[in-house]
Amino acid sequence: MIDYHFDWGVIARNADKLTDALLLGLWLAVVSLAIGCVIGLVTAYARVSGKWWLSRPVWLYVEFIRCTPLLLLVFFLYFGLPEFDISFLDKTQSFILSLSLYAGAYMSEVFRAGLASIPKQYVEAAKAIGLRPWQRQAYVVLPVMFRITLPSVSNNLISLFKDTSLAAAIAVPELTFTARQINANTFRVMESWLTASALYLATAYLIALVLRQIERRYAAIR
Amino acid sequence: MGAHDDKLSTDDADLTLERRSLFGLGLAGAALGGLAASAALAPTPAAAQTVAKSKLYTIKERGKLIVGTGSTNPPWHFQDANGKLVGMDIDLARLLAKSLFDDPEKVEFVLQGSDARIPSLVTDKVDIVVQWMTVTPGRAQQVDFTFPYYREGVGLLMLDRGGKYKNYAELKAAGKAVTVGGMQNVFLEEWIHKALPEAKVDAFESPDAAMQALNARRIDASMQDQSAMRWLMQQAPGRFVDSGFGWMPNSYASAVKPGDPTWLNWVNTVYKEAMVGVDFDTFAASYKKWFGIELPIPKVGFPQEFA
Repeated sequence: MIDYHFDWGVIARNADKLTDALLLGLWLAVVSLAIGCVIGLVTAYARVSGKWWLSRPVWLYVEFIRCTPLLLLVFFLYFGLPEFDISFLDKTQSFILSLSLYAGAYMSEVFRAGLASIPKQYVEAAKAIGLRPWQRQAYVVLPVMFRITLPSVSNNLISLFKDTSLAAAIAVPELTFTARQINANTFRVMESWLTASALYLATAYLIALVLRQIERRYAAIR
Repeated sequence: MGAHDDKLSTDDADLTLERRSLFGLGLAGAALGGLAASAALAPTPAAAQTVAKSKLYTIKERGKLIVGTGSTNPPWHFQDANGKLVGMDIDLARLLAKSLFDDPEKVEFVLQGSDARIPSLVTDKVDIVVQWMTVTPGRAQQVDFTFPYYREGVGLLMLDRGGKYKNYAELKAAGKAVTVGGMQNVFLEEWIHKALPEAKVDAFESPDAAMQALNARRIDASMQDQSAMRWLMQQAPGRFVDSGFGWMPNSYASAVKPGDPTWLNWVNTVYKEAMVGVDFDTFAASYKKWFGIELPIPKVGFPQEFA
């Protein structure tokens, strides 16, 4: 490093802010994943329903979201919707909606694959013991599917957590925004970005560790 | 103003080198200029200087004026749709050329970043800097400032229609309910809170994001330089309004190399007579063009500046 004098005091002085920012990012990711899972589940069922008027719109939604950058979706919901007089969501809510729609498209594919991978015999066995259609889904299909898809869900949580950095673009005070603010206020560029990177890395790794434990406990027995 | 023009300097630096190469100076010249600048900026005793020939006569002999300015900040100095350098600063530079040679085209623009304004003067790269330069006592120790030609300040830009509030009084009365946006910088919160102590502040990455937040009614007002506000109001008539409150005043003036009273005095004369005398019409036309404001004709009779 050429003549750069580190001053970590800046980070210490802003520790509260950085912690709040990190927690906000985590919260954004978890809430979006939860909503995304609901969207994903509903759309996955619509997709495998065999009815074109259900599966085509879902296909369109999934491909549209997967083939456009998340940042554009964030901009559209935050800057674009008010032009159509839709502005009841504040910046944080509008970001959660963007991230949920984004997560929903990915989860839809994950769940669709999960549903497709459940052996036919499970459902036939459930039929044989006289379970009703909704009981077959609730007691047989879904529990197995969740176990199968768990690793993909945890992957998605980690990548959603990193995607929360895009909220900085619409002034949501999460970690990237806060790091940039410290930059702007103190010009301690190295310190603030190194700290932000370390926090992202450590948090994402912790999420991965915890989820691996859960996966080990619930992993599908095949 | 201090805060933002310094920030722009990084962008300008690349452009500067590029332009300088176009002008045939090349990279080496620019680098040497930087070295010479830092040497010349060091304090030197002012004693034992011989009375040199004023720059005014050098310029007359040379046949053209060399002006340091920028190219990225409307409405001060920027390139129009045809790539031509235009703006309030450019108009003033052309007025100087016209006053010297009776030809507003006899001027060479050296495009430079804000951080090059003082070095380019002390190393004699340019005759004068006309580049939205804020007058500060610190800078006045390194260069001589001319009379100011504009008083900059910040203001609050609002939507003309569809906004929740109409003017500054309503913003102030609304207290905590108000959100004001602006470009992220050191002073953003402090300055907004000087005008609206309770307002929420949304800091955006770029001026255009802040503008879009205003357009989308995500923020109730956007804090901007007043000159930029006037320019935006000119560009999109009927879309924006000024909240009616301005603060953080600072003066824009040109600067020349210190120690040449003849040249400084001549520029001052041109500027002053542009604002109150023979060239008032030219100055007023520029003012109207860039800020959309009709200046009142100076009162005939006793010179108001001495009143």
